[in-house]
Amino acid sequence: MTKLLEVKNVVAGYGDGPAILNGASIAVQPGKVHCIIGPNGAGKSTLLKAICGMLTIRQGDVTFKGKNLKGLRPDQVLREGICFVPQERALFPKMTVRENLRMGGFSMPDKSTLEKRIDEIEERFPILKERRDQHAGTMSGGQQQTLAMARTMILRPEIVMLDEPSLGLAPKIVQEVFEIMRVMTEDGITVLLVEQNALMGLKHADWGVVLDLGRTLFEGPAAEVLTDPRIQELYLGGKKAA
Amino acid sequence: MADMLQILILGIALGGVYALMGAGLSLVFGVMRIVNLAHPSLIMMGAYVAYWAFKLYGIDPLVILPVAMIILAVTGVLLYKLVFEREAKSATYSEMTVLLTFALAMIFEGGLATAFTNTQRVTSPEYATDAIFLGDIFIPLGQLYAGIVSLILIGGLALFLKYSRFGYAIRATTQNREAAQLLGVNVNLVGLVSFAIGLALAGAAGSLVSFVFSFFPSKHWEWIAVLMSLVVLGGMGSILGTVVAAYLLSIVAAFVGFFFGATWSTLTFFLALFVVLLVRPQGLFGEKPELA
Repeated sequence: MTKLLEVKNVVAGYGDGPAILNGASIAVQPGKVHCIIGPNGAGKSTLLKAICGMLTIRQGDVTFKGKNLKGLRPDQVLREGICFVPQERALFPKMTVRENLRMGGFSMPDKSTLEKRIDEIEERFPILKERRDQHAGTMSGGQQQTLAMARTMILRPEIVMLDEPSLGLAPKIVQEVFEIMRVMTEDGITVLLVEQNALMGLKHADWGVVLDLGRTLFEGPAAEVLTDPRIQELYLGGKKAA
Repeated sequence: MADMLQILILGIALGGVYALMGAGLSLVFGVMRIVNLAHPSLIMMGAYVAYWAFKLYGIDPLVILPVAMIILAVTGVLLYKLVFEREAKSATYSEMTVLLTFALAMIFEGGLATAFTNTQRVTSPEYATDAIFLGDIFIPLGQLYAGIVSLILIGGLALFLKYSRFGYAIRATTQNREAAQLLGVNVNLVGLVSFAIGLALAGAAGSLVSFVFSFFPSKHWEWIAVLMSLVVLGGMGSILGTVVAAYLLSIVAAFVGFFFGATWSTLTFFLALFVVLLVRPQGLFGEKPELA
């Protein structure tokens, strides 16, 4: 099994606070959708933040294509080819949709390539073309999520990390979000997805990773994780999350 | 009717100067979340640069303006590196900078007063006391020039923010610091440059103010109240809001001065500050504060 990104025994937390991750490990395979599940407080979002450089990794290693990412700033991790879409979507509410897309390619040195890629993105997601001059903050939740996800594709990253993209969206819109995720994988992008709704997340994933109390409990093909009795126990036994 | 038009024109001319005075303050607040109480004392520094350049060498304030901008921008870089950057990681950064900038304001005031005494000064190029007449209406040339130069500078700032790559980075950092960082913006550098630009604008405003108002070191306390009311009415961090508020309040103040006497015209700004905080705390263009 080839690994694109390897997270090994990572310990991390916020500021000087207690460690949220206590030795989490995952092996990310190229081209696949990986869904990280686990009860509230398991450290799912924290893991993504540690990978992208928003949090200091206290112990352990994050290796991407043989290079250690530990200690890099978010802008440096981004240049390596890993994009992160946080829960709050990271949009600029008072910039237009087009300007938000331009910010997506901020790290690209060549402006004409950037404009060309934005045009391509607009072709693929017509709603973004339609709303081009509208402030991002005035769009609906689903449209904002579309913008946030489409924006990462401008850089043609190798890995996109999505933190609960379905949060706060109506079921029908959630389907659209997963549709965009499928489009990403067709482009060869590897996806690392965090989902509160384990059932839904695993259904759309190839690989499942179960996190609890900051550690990797177990991982495996999504279909197997879905039916694993330990899942029932983790979720229904503790009654922590739905 | 001619009276009304006259007052309106005077209000508009001064509005530009107030807008320039407030724009730098607003920019710095937007990017760094620093309420820079030392901003007016830095404007005062710019005014002294223009004053002495004219007094000693006869250089026109409009000519020295770019020099004042550079001097203040360099001051900005030093202040940022020495004072603000090292505290940026503190959890109480925003609160602490209120005290920090308050202290800086007192230091600058004391420094200027020690060096140049508290004597009232005004730079007096010929046009400062000249005026042009359009029928019954007169326009003081000094205020007209100051208003026009202010507009040019603010327009330049707007174009820079709207179209340049760095302008994108500044706007992005203002709106969502974390997101900007995730997309590859070096937010610390953005903070530094914004602070330098903010102070350069203070330097420019100082050069203009030096021949529009008389000034002395401790007068900056009067200005901070005026600038705060502009920034609050416009919406914290919104430069457009600050500019609109500056014109609005300046015009209203001109009319208040005409009807009730000049003493009352300053009151306009304080009253506006009061009313805005009561009725619409987010100001004209600000975000409505979210309820926790």
